[in-house]
Amino acid sequence: MRKDLVFGMAGSGGDGIVSAGDSLIQAAAAEGYHGVMTKSFGSQIRGGESSCRVRISIDPILNPGGNLDVAVALNWEDFLKFGAELPVSGTTVVIYEAATGIKETEIPLVGVTPLQVIAVPIAAMAKETAGTERAKNTVVLGLIAGWFGIGAVAVMKGIRKRLAKKGEELVEANQRAFDAGRAFAMAHPLKASMNIVSSDTKGNVKLITDGNDMCAAAAIFAGCQFFGGYPITPSTEIMQFFTDHVWKYGGAVLQAEDEIAGIGAAVGASFAGMKSMTATSGPGLSLKSEMMGLASIAELPLVIVDVQRGGPSTGLPTKSEQSDLFAAAFSAHGDVIRPVLAPTSVADTFRITIEAFNIAEYYQTPVIVLSDQEISQRKETLDPIDTTQFKIIERVRPTGADLQDYKRFKQTENHISPISHPGMLGGTYLASGIEHVESGAPTNSGTVHARMNDKRTKKFDPLKDRKDLFEVSGNPDAPIAMVAWGSVAGVCREALLMAQEQGINVKLLVPYLLYPVAEGVYNEFFASVQKGLIIEQTHLAQTHKLLRMHLDLPKGVKPMARSGANPFLPSEIVAALHNLLSELQRSHEGNLQPQE
Amino acid sequence: MSATGTLDFQPKDYKSDLKPIWCPGCGDFSVVQGIYRALAAIGRPPHEIAFVSGIGCSSRIPGYTTAYGFNSVHGRALPIAQGIKLANPDLLVLAAGGDGDGFSIGGGHIAHLIRRNMDITYIVMDNQIYGLTKGQLSPTSQKGRTTCTSRYGSLEEPVNPLLYVLAYGAGFVAQASPTDLVGMAAVIEEAIRYPGFAFVNIQSPCVTYGEEAQQIKGLKAIQESLASLGHNPADRLAAMDLAQQYGEKMHLGVFYRNPEPPPTYGDLVKERQALLSKDALPRERILDLFIKK
Amino acid sequence: MATRGIDYANLSLKDALDLAILIEDEAQERYEEFAVQMDQHRTPEAAKFFRYMVENEAKHGRELSARRVARFGSAPSAVSRTMIYDIEAPDYDAARAFMSARKAMEAALASEVKAHAFFVSALPTLQDAEVRALFEELRDEELEHQQLVQAELYKLRPESGLSDDDFVDEPAAQ
Ligand SMILES: Cc1ncc(C[n+]2csc(CCOP(=O)(O)OP(=O)(O)O)c2C)c(N)n1
Ligand code: SF4
Ligand SMILES: [Mg+2]
Repeated sequence: MRKDLVFGMAGSGGDGIVSAGDSLIQAAAAEGYHGVMTKSFGSQIRGGESSCRVRISIDPILNPGGNLDVAVALNWEDFLKFGAELPVSGTTVVIYEAATGIKETEIPLVGVTPLQVIAVPIAAMAKETAGTERAKNTVVLGLIAGWFGIGAVAVMKGIRKRLAKKGEELVEANQRAFDAGRAFAMAHPLKASMNIVSSDTKGNVKLITDGNDMCAAAAIFAGCQFFGGYPITPSTEIMQFFTDHVWKYGGAVLQAEDEIAGIGAAVGASFAGMKSMTATSGPGLSLKSEMMGLASIAELPLVIVDVQRGGPSTGLPTKSEQSDLFAAAFSAHGDVIRPVLAPTSVADTFRITIEAFNIAEYYQTPVIVLSDQEISQRKETLDPIDTTQFKIIERVRPTGADLQDYKRFKQTENHISPISHPGMLGGTYLASGIEHVESGAPTNSGTVHARMNDKRTKKFDPLKDRKDLFEVSGNPDAPIAMVAWGSVAGVCREALLMAQEQGINVKLLVPYLLYPVAEGVYNEFFASVQKGLIIEQTHLAQTHKLLRMHLDLPKGVKPMARSGANPFLPSEIVAALHNLLSELQRSHEGNLQPQE
Repeated sequence: MSATGTLDFQPKDYKSDLKPIWCPGCGDFSVVQGIYRALAAIGRPPHEIAFVSGIGCSSRIPGYTTAYGFNSVHGRALPIAQGIKLANPDLLVLAAGGDGDGFSIGGGHIAHLIRRNMDITYIVMDNQIYGLTKGQLSPTSQKGRTTCTSRYGSLEEPVNPLLYVLAYGAGFVAQASPTDLVGMAAVIEEAIRYPGFAFVNIQSPCVTYGEEAQQIKGLKAIQESLASLGHNPADRLAAMDLAQQYGEKMHLGVFYRNPEPPPTYGDLVKERQALLSKDALPRERILDLFIKK
Repeated sequence: MATRGIDYANLSLKDALDLAILIEDEAQERYEEFAVQMDQHRTPEAAKFFRYMVENEAKHGRELSARRVARFGSAPSAVSRTMIYDIEAPDYDAARAFMSARKAMEAALASEVKAHAFFVSALPTLQDAEVRALFEELRDEELEHQQLVQAELYKLRPESGLSDDDFVDEPAAQ
């Protein structure tokens, strides 16, 4: 019996493998399991290679999983295109389409001998039972139900619900295809049973959503009333959510003519007193940088979501990467701090997005939420979230006394000046990108410029003490450490558990606040550390460099960095930790030897 | 005029080995065929052609030709194309992209290339939708259209690409569609031959996100050839009148061809270079400019 | 379906033959394009059928070419591809992602019907008796082609009535 299974399935868009994944995670949720599903596509709009990875577990899931337990290939050409995204190992059961004509002993996977390889006449069964080969995906779901014990009832219940409008014939065809797959599995049992143990939380309500929808819902929850943006993969769904819902809350959404206009409108809405946001991906972030500078100097609250994909430029539009870190921290010219936050999962996207609004409103600043393709488009099952636990912060508005002699950029103790907005009697001022004195009137005085720079950067000092924006797990005194953020953090959380089980004394720091760099938090974390890894999906080791820019990392802390679209596996991180451990042991031994 | 060649070329000489990844049935398949034919008729060898695009399904098009291609960034085909033209006015420079690429994010550039009368042919594959990003509203989408970013219908009027370029004073403006590939090839050829900024709007259906009325059958129902209407392409006001019907009628052919094309920006640059070249200091003495006399 | 600049009243037999060849060429190319599109989108059955149409059109084209050469040798032609469009070639948007073999056949059938209509409509404008005879022959051949495709259609099992779109994945954004 298994507690946790990782499925990886690939085919062409016509095979409907991603919608099969959708059905599977929904069925799993209905049966009380936790689930995570990621999707990955080739570069065709229709009919290119597509794949999904579905992880199902009786325990909460930290990441989409490493090596596959079950690989499903509807054709090998498509499957192989995903390379490291769908890793097969000696513990994988491989199921593939018999019509590919490839013998079970000759599947094109080099260097691995899977646990078991099974050719199944999937297309033939689909045609036979549903009358169309297109029902292959439903046959696959039947096979999964039969072999792994997931979704025997719930899958068809889900399909029935989804297709009810389209007529009984379609539902029946699917039912026959599903039954055929299940019967095939029953008739050909696996060498070693891989049934998943049944969950005891069956019947509990579970939410299923992805990072983009979660982000948009969180924004509306936080009181965001305006979205200005421009479509770009993989962030467009945030705007879509707004166009579907924000009107209901008296808000508005503008699909602008480009990213600059989108963020411009959001800046305008914020000036007008509304919580506002924009969302984009790398190329759009590049375009928005001038407006980000404007919002910083005009001290206007604004949330900018950047869903990272492979860059630079168009790069890899459908694959995940973390290489926008520098751009998020440093884009737009001038001496300026713009807070950067990063969620690590669909679930915490809710909290982090709310934080982003709170920080934006409180500090009167643009805040960047650095999400990534994996989080934004992966589906997770979630337990219901108690929304009453979240505090919503509003910008500080001028009091009646303030308005007697209103100074928009008044120097205050905490460097935060009450902000008025058009419509407020006595609060009129000039907002501008040019340097200004406290009243808002333009200046070119060097003294004022220095003072204002000071105000605009010092106001963020308290942010660096926000320990709640950091998560430390593992043994606090461990000599070995990992640092990871964004979607990579989930992989490291799992690696941490595995490494601890294997006796490695290790800890993990996950920053949700990436910038400004909270030196204090890191210094405290690294105090016990001799060896460590900064694990990130960037080619240039941007996180490592960003940290080194702000603090002295222990010598033994090195980057473990790689380009996007090549996900980390928990197992390889554990292997790297083992290396650190033996280096550490060797150097200890070395220290005990008399020195020459 | 740089457009005329001497060698004998066939359409297939302009076809590259890259296989288009457009959805089957996409109108852009016809556009690339139209371009092969027009280029063959012009007869410039592929290596003397620079073909620039932005980002979008349609912007994949340079890769499917044997010309020097440049699949650039969203909305910026025209600025890059004009740089190419200024660097080497002898090249045949084509720019192409989608309605979003051209009239939304890149909309600001068009007026300026027209003002400068850059000798560039700009082909817009107008499918009234954002194809590549999965079907959002485009600047040419009809008001009220429901898409994934306008579930309750769009609230804005579409841009009229034809009027837009006519209003800015483009010297050559035409429209084509896959309902008449021969006509399409002919207007593209004519556009390339026109000395100055030439614009061709191609109603190129998106079969995946397009509406029924924008598919070939729907287009055929509203198409009308400008020649059959007896339209005189030298008459700019008449052209503007007809262009008003964009969206209701699909006029095919040449709306406007300036009968007396003004000099192109490239011509003026050459003129100025010729005039001033005699004043050039030898490069190694460029710093002599700073000697106070 | 369009022709341009063809003077049917004065069409010679040589040019009429050339026209017929061009029409077959065009259809052949379009089917070839469709077949490649189907390959690209992993729709082998439709690809196979479109290749079958490529063969048909090519065969017919070869027969016509042989007749042309036998009768007129390499005498220059007065008609060209720029004069015709979509006479027997299916419309560009007749291809669809993941189309079934049946849908592919229906698309081909529609274009044979279209070609038939072209010859029917051209007939009254023809003056030359030999040209007229050729067009009548071509018209009837289009009927034969229709039967050919229909025969292929009958060979298929009746379709389930389900729409492929109910199974396939959503398009993928870039
Ligand atoms: C700066 C930037 N913003 C947004 C995008 C995402 N994007 C790519 S293509 C496109 C629009 C496509 O529509 P269109 O230009 O009409 O071309 P089509 O795909 O319809 O041919 C968008 C919004 C991008 N690549 N770069
Ligand atoms: S999505 Fe539309 S525009 Fe893009 S390739 Fe497909 S049919 Fe063409
Ligand atoms: Mg478009």
